[in-house]
Amino acid sequence: MVTLTIDDKQVTVEKNATIFDAAKVAGVNIPILCHDKKLKPFGACRMCLVEVEQMKGRLIPACTTPVTEGMIVRSTTESVEKARKLVLELLMLNHPLDCPVCDKGGDCELQNLAYDHKVNVNRLSDEKFHHEIDYNNPLIERDQNRCVLCGKCVRICDEIVSRGALTFMNRGIETKIGTEFDGPLNCEFCGSCISVCPVGALLARPFKFKARFWALQKKSSVCGYCGTGCSLTLGVKDNKVLTTVYDENQGFHNGQLCVRGRFGYQFINSDKRLKSPLIRKNGELVEAGWDEALELVAARLKSAGTAAAALATPRMTNEELLLLKQLMIKEVGSPNIDHSAGYGHAALTAGLAKSFGVAAAPSTILDIQKSDLLLVVKSDAYETHPVVGFEINMAVKNKGVKLHILSDKRGKLGKLPGATVLVHAPGTEVTLLNAMAKVLIDENLASGAVAITGYTELCAGLAGFAPEQVADQCGVNAEAIRQMARDYAAADKALIVFPTGLAYPVQDAQVAHAVANLAILAGKLGKEGSGLLVLQEKNNSQGAVDVGFVPATGGLDARAILDGCVSGSIKTLLIAGENPLVSYPNQTNVREALQNVEFLVVADLFLTETAKQADVVLPVCSYAEKEGTFTATDRRVQKVQPVISPVAQSRPEFKMYGDLIRILGGQAPATPADAFVEIPAYAVLSYASLSTEGAFVPASVSSQLVLPKCSVSVVETGKLALLVGAALYHCGTLSQFGEGPLSVCPEGYLEISRSDAARMKIVDNDEVAVSTASGTVRLKARVSPRMSEGIVFSPYHFAGNPINQIWSGAAVTSVTISK
Amino acid sequence: MSEAVAVNEETEMEEPVIDLAIADKVIEKYKDIPGNLMPILQGIQDDYGYVPKITVDYVAERLNVYPSQIYGVLTFYAQFHLKPRGKFIIRVCMGTACHVLGAERIRETFFERLGIGHAETSADKRFTFELVACLGACGMAPLAMVNDETYGKMTVQRVDEIIKEYSSLPM
Repeated sequence: MVTLTIDDKQVTVEKNATIFDAAKVAGVNIPILCHDKKLKPFGACRMCLVEVEQMKGRLIPACTTPVTEGMIVRSTTESVEKARKLVLELLMLNHPLDCPVCDKGGDCELQNLAYDHKVNVNRLSDEKFHHEIDYNNPLIERDQNRCVLCGKCVRICDEIVSRGALTFMNRGIETKIGTEFDGPLNCEFCGSCISVCPVGALLARPFKFKARFWALQKKSSVCGYCGTGCSLTLGVKDNKVLTTVYDENQGFHNGQLCVRGRFGYQFINSDKRLKSPLIRKNGELVEAGWDEALELVAARLKSAGTAAAALATPRMTNEELLLLKQLMIKEVGSPNIDHSAGYGHAALTAGLAKSFGVAAAPSTILDIQKSDLLLVVKSDAYETHPVVGFEINMAVKNKGVKLHILSDKRGKLGKLPGATVLVHAPGTEVTLLNAMAKVLIDENLASGAVAITGYTELCAGLAGFAPEQVADQCGVNAEAIRQMARDYAAADKALIVFPTGLAYPVQDAQVAHAVANLAILAGKLGKEGSGLLVLQEKNNSQGAVDVGFVPATGGLDARAILDGCVSGSIKTLLIAGENPLVSYPNQTNVREALQNVEFLVVADLFLTETAKQADVVLPVCSYAEKEGTFTATDRRVQKVQPVISPVAQSRPEFKMYGDLIRILGGQAPATPADAFVEIPAYAVLSYASLSTEGAFVPASVSSQLVLPKCSVSVVETGKLALLVGAALYHCGTLSQFGEGPLSVCPEGYLEISRSDAARMKIVDNDEVAVSTASGTVRLKARVSPRMSEGIVFSPYHFAGNPINQIWSGAAVTSVTISK
Repeated sequence: MSEAVAVNEETEMEEPVIDLAIADKVIEKYKDIPGNLMPILQGIQDDYGYVPKITVDYVAERLNVYPSQIYGVLTFYAQFHLKPRGKFIIRVCMGTACHVLGAERIRETFFERLGIGHAETSADKRFTFELVACLGACGMAPLAMVNDETYGKMTVQRVDEIIKEYSSLPM
């Protein structure tokens, strides 16, 4: 610790702190344009100049100068004031004074500083810049005329996002922020650059000319897309969510968001939201009142009894899921409830529930940056959970954490410095992980696990899994498998990360066993920065498991429910927020089920492909209109409050299922707080004390080694292997209604390796037909260095390109491709 | 350099088809040395005469650096050229002494005769024209250079003579 004096205030700070950091602690405000607490000090703007007694004769930049013992700093002297004013005058020399039409007006750091320092006249004059404004993409507007060259956008894109889309180009007065070859911005559109821009050089186009910053109410909430559970601030005006507002102090991620979080909010106030309940009359869906709709639904559920079933989306709050569960099991008397196609949660409910005795992963997202080594299974982790991807980027780049990746395709994470990537044949991850476990056992790296239940059986079961025996099948080098296992064992703190969800194949439960085995064998559990983190697909996937929205005893799982609809054993199906016609595998079967079931009720925000098949459609609320809790993927329970009132006649599902319970004569909890106490998994938490930041529910692990089952997937000769998964810009099918993500990724595509593309003479954007015996899907081709020869990939979110016509949920689907 | 040419769709100019094997050789030579980006880009420019866009993407992929970062370096240093250059580089000094003795007339005449301005290259790739701040031979002002040949005491007539002389040389 170092003690120094700033403006006569004594302050003690860490040895590696800067004067700027120390000033913050001392409560001294030093103006600055180029600083963000997440970024490395840069010293570009010269606004933070201060006087230091020991360094007389020149002014010292506070943001890059480390503190020393006994330092005496003055930040308000005449010469400091003079220098700051000159810096501002120089900045304002070329900066256009167009604040009245600049969207940043009122939220602009340069404007604030000019005001604070009374820069109302300029002693200097020069021509303004005449850079062309980049309107080439729908989300990020770049106006270099307003840029003050603080470099925050360049740095955040490199240090955190690791995309490097922006750079300083040219030199001297010609310097500006550009892209490669000064072309249009071609990036992930996460908008991190916008969030840190101190001026109006980078603006969110969807928010342009919507409202003045000071007219917005800033309301804290939790992102409704993936399981990362990012806290976010919504900008609200006139009962409309108009934008997301950056707050560098929000959440574990310090306000950092991905494209979905930052730009995906538009679904909340979308024109496409359902306005009122709809009931099918004479074959047409017509508007109806809530009472009529609820009476009808209650009657049809009750009359179906055990032949009723419910599929819910893990985007509902825990309290809503609890009520729907109560409705189905207690009031209707049906055990048939499920979510995420019935296997999207298998990694937890079948995998970890057995391996760890609890259907939750033992580690948290906060462990990523505290680890020594990360083992990422499936490079898709970046696409499914981009903000977790940012954490991995920062861990590797800033903290020197080692990164090992085991994946069927290359990805962005593999480009991080020092990353070791094992690209394996599709569908062989369990085999590979078993081979790693075998190495741990054979090389005496698992001696601490001998006494754990299942050790002997596992040793026997892994007999044929020596790396040399499986290397050919997995398409990787045996020595590389050995080395990865040794590195994993050697790291003091090692964290395994793997993404799951209904876009990923059925064998996820086996992958979960396999990674749990590694963590148990090598003794990586129970330490900070070490263990296992399962990334779940939706914002409340973990909650749906904790609440127990899975088939009750004797109940059917999602696929059995759909089969039951086909065979006629399920009479009334309630689909709450899921869109199985687009998201579930095996579309032909889903379509048949929805057509065959006697009575179909869909509760959703939109008239989705699934809702169009319904007999009754119930309009429900988004996360911005309701109260309740979501549980993030690392069992962080976060509370949201309504930030706007319900759109049109939509109702929070909490009220709706409560009403259905009451119609059927039951007793429903009156408020989400009352419902929360009925969730046994969260007994340790108090509802009142929860916030959008969330509180962790620790998972107490009792380990058991389970031999994972390996299914061998073989690609038919002459065909290509189709992998299905998530695209970076989307999450489930909800993002299809968020205009932002959709505007940069509007349709499905097929990623194909360079060599296959060259052989078939396919170039980018060629339309190709992807066929199996069950059908043909037409997709635009993307020639991608991510893919290995013989493997193609397609995301599953798009109704217009229904990949699930030909995808059955199998790990590997053999397809033919023609132009 | 390969003799094959193809039309670049962006610039609509004929450009030689880039053989990445040459870039490969340069990258191989420096790939394990820290701070290798500058020598690699210099090597590429030595071989191709400029730094073609496709080599930037290629170097970015091979070295695992952002293409934007390479572009930042390329535009920072005046020594790098992103467009093909002519066989003969004409440089006209615009320094103080040359300015006083009529450098502006020399510039204008070159522009009229060749139809190319600063940092531009003639369609036949024969000439590239550049204005420079000072060539360091003020006693010979106004001054021009063609490749390594110096032409002092320039006049409008001598501009025509120089163009004639270099136009008759083989490409």
